[in-house]
Amino acid sequence: MPSNDLPAPAPAAQAESSTPIQQSEAPKLTGAELKKQKQAEKAARRAQAIQGKHVIPAGPPPAVQKGEPKQQKRRGSTAGSRDLPIRQPESNAAPKPPPVEDKTVEFFRHLSKPHRKTIAGTPKDIHPAAQILGMQFSTYVICGSTARLLATLEVFKELVQSYVVPPRTTLKLHFTTHVLNPHIGYLISFRPLSISMGNAISWFKREISKVSIDLSDAEAKKMLCDAIDVYIRERVTFADQAIAASTTEKIRDGDVILTYAKSSIVQRSLLQAHEEGKKFRVIAVDSRPLHEGKNLAETLANAGIEVKYCLINGLSHNIQDATKVLLGAHAMMSNGRLLSRIGTALVAMEANDAEKPVIVLCETVKFTERVALDSIVLNEIAPADELVIPGGALEGWRDVKKLQLCNPMYDVTPAEYIQMIVTESGCVPPTSVPVLHRLVNEPEIQ
Amino acid sequence: MPSSQAGYAPNLGFYLKSLKAQPVESSIENLISLLKRRQITNSRPCAVATAHLLLQVVAKFRWTNVNKLIERIQDVGRRLIEAQPREMVVGNIVRRVLGMVRDEAKEDRNDDASDSASNSQMGSPHQEHSDQGTSHLGGPPPSFSPLRFSTTEDSDSTEANGDDVFGGKPQTASRPPLITSHTSYAPAGGLPPQKSMFQLLSANPSPASTPSGAQSPHNTSSLNATSLSHRITTSSKDLKAEVIEGIEEIVDELDQADDRIAAQSLEYIHSNEVILTHSSSKSVQKFLLEAAKKRKFTVIIAESYPNDHEATHKSVTRSISTDAEGADELSTPKFSKSLSDAGITVILMTDATIFAIMSRVNKVILATHAVIANGGLIAAAGARIIAKAARVHRTPVIVVSGVYKLSPQYPFEFESLIEYGDPGNIVRYQDGALVENLEVDNPVYDYVPPDLVDLYITNIGAHAPSYLYRIVADHYKAEDINFDKPELQ
Repeated sequence: MPSNDLPAPAPAAQAESSTPIQQSEAPKLTGAELKKQKQAEKAARRAQAIQGKHVIPAGPPPAVQKGEPKQQKRRGSTAGSRDLPIRQPESNAAPKPPPVEDKTVEFFRHLSKPHRKTIAGTPKDIHPAAQILGMQFSTYVICGSTARLLATLEVFKELVQSYVVPPRTTLKLHFTTHVLNPHIGYLISFRPLSISMGNAISWFKREISKVSIDLSDAEAKKMLCDAIDVYIRERVTFADQAIAASTTEKIRDGDVILTYAKSSIVQRSLLQAHEEGKKFRVIAVDSRPLHEGKNLAETLANAGIEVKYCLINGLSHNIQDATKVLLGAHAMMSNGRLLSRIGTALVAMEANDAEKPVIVLCETVKFTERVALDSIVLNEIAPADELVIPGGALEGWRDVKKLQLCNPMYDVTPAEYIQMIVTESGCVPPTSVPVLHRLVNEPEIQ
Repeated sequence: MPSSQAGYAPNLGFYLKSLKAQPVESSIENLISLLKRRQITNSRPCAVATAHLLLQVVAKFRWTNVNKLIERIQDVGRRLIEAQPREMVVGNIVRRVLGMVRDEAKEDRNDDASDSASNSQMGSPHQEHSDQGTSHLGGPPPSFSPLRFSTTEDSDSTEANGDDVFGGKPQTASRPPLITSHTSYAPAGGLPPQKSMFQLLSANPSPASTPSGAQSPHNTSSLNATSLSHRITTSSKDLKAEVIEGIEEIVDELDQADDRIAAQSLEYIHSNEVILTHSSSKSVQKFLLEAAKKRKFTVIIAESYPNDHEATHKSVTRSISTDAEGADELSTPKFSKSLSDAGITVILMTDATIFAIMSRVNKVILATHAVIANGGLIAAAGARIIAKAARVHRTPVIVVSGVYKLSPQYPFEFESLIEYGDPGNIVRYQDGALVENLEVDNPVYDYVPPDLVDLYITNIGAHAPSYLYRIVADHYKAEDINFDKPELQ
């Protein structure tokens, strides 16, 4: 928020400047004069208050008031004290500029961070590939847990390859702190890390720490790049294949699959099932503001699958037609809850109510030891302006006092709505998430 | 709710203005086409338009007989309902008016009967045996009198049809035979009740029972009716005034419903509560605004994309008056305050966020399109998932609705009540290939079953969903409930 830092110094500066002046200049005014002015000010304020009732003057007027004391202060310091007596009570009585309104939603304030929108101001040692990736994150060109994971790992590979070990140090000691961490921080400034990225990063750091000091730099680099390739192959590529294969088994002829938003693994499974000649229909449910499901619906329809597309307002009408609900995941929590695109919980709730099986497709790389009871503790808040429809009434929402826009990215689906999680290590119930997570993501614990 | 077009498209305001200038028949056609073209949408505008139209129908219709009036209203109502069966308020208002006419007519008849009783007593003292029968009409009804009334009504309507065939006697023409009709009535109406009961039950009325006058060749009860209708003619002026007054009362009720509901808001909203609502309902806005005068709380609004989001956005940013309804256009353009003006923190979010935020919500307040007799409601799409998410989180769900939205209909197939909107709101034609390959679904309304609702707040108080059928019974007459579907009657 650019407006955030602009007016903030104003009150402080004003307070600093006005108090000493007040003390020094006060004797210059006669008591009667002061009283009169104060009374007039009071009356004016009262009139204003009556006019606006309890509504505090919004937006533009305070901005003007804020500007004035600033100018006067500057003038005061240069032009001498002649006009001070007039100015002084004015600045004294001027209503305090209301603190700049926090437009973030209170429930999510702990999560709200400003998102970097451009690559302007990028520190000079950031690799161009990371800059590109940052922009892709920010514009949702690369969106979705798996896609972001893959792209990040590719960038890490480039970082390793372009890395030149400075003299008198080694890759093992220098790379993580001086190259990797700044780049991760840079990527976070565009969008917070996904759970899968977090898992991959801690794995990668472990790998770096395992690099033997005896290896030459070139060998070490090659080793790390190979490790990344293996990781991608094992944890994503093969995992996806395994998940798609076991999901395809579960799709029968005549099924109606309901899915929400877009998950690459759901899409892949459906396409694979279609290629295998299974006859089924798909209901793609979608929501604002990302409309990811449209992409999925388009892909499936182009492949020749019969697709019905509706937004979340049509969910209740379509859930009865469905036979299975397939959901993608952003992460699986250790208490068996599913963190996924905002709205997923509603779909799971409706499916549960209509007694339709809810199947989550999730690679184990998305498992986390973290737990969440509701969607507010752990979430990602996207910039509120993404909700504004160009040309719509919301364009001026920042000028409307006390209006906030709420745009979280994920919600948490209760474990009892989920019947099965399909992973590359098999199909498990939500209660098995922590066990599986320990097995695959934290090998050193064993 | 498809957003009403701005600009020069006719809306409720224009329609109401045109009502007085136009002949009734073209007004009816006009409203039918407005309803069909969805230029008047949403419950309240439809209700207001219907009530005003019926007012004109009653005022300009020259009727000699209450049953003819009822038929006329039924006919107009049927056409309106056919034009837009999913605007259930249209039918509600027609039924309300019908019920009101019946009440007035009954009252009138009772008064009249007692009049004529005294009349016949004075005019024909020799017919003392008739006292018994006539006084039954006027006095506290004995057990069989309702039956008698219903028979007269039935035959009356056939009589009215006959009247139509013969060109319908104008009001003035029917006045002179007033006295004769009275005299003829006296023996007819004054038949000993035992005798008329006997006629009722006997399959073939014996010619012997035909009274001396014998204007009607078939049976006495029809003659009875003729005379009744004549008598009604005399009082039709009063009756008409009463009916018009009754319709005006309904119009007033429509105007005041929101305020009456809002007046109760302080009982339901307390300080620092978090209230979730959706779409842009005027009733809900007023309800919240009224509470905002005294208390500070937070309102979360789900935007109800894609059918009502524009209105919702406008209502929170206060670009124009909340819904382009037109009822206000009649008066000076009054701008209602927005919630954020009233010092309330307003959080706007997408419909998908409902579940995520529900754990922090204290109360859900839903607006409604129509309420049906079982306590369920038809509301903007998305209401059902809100209500369900609320139930999962054990959050109370309050529905705010005027009694006029309460429909006596009980459809067993709820899907039939759901209107589907323009799929172009979801997938635009610019998307090309998508449009051709996809089936796109855009329901405008949701059915919310009664078990998801905790409380209804109407202009006559707060009720449990299970009690609504009683209110239905209070407001509508059983014989009017299916008037638009003759096969069900």
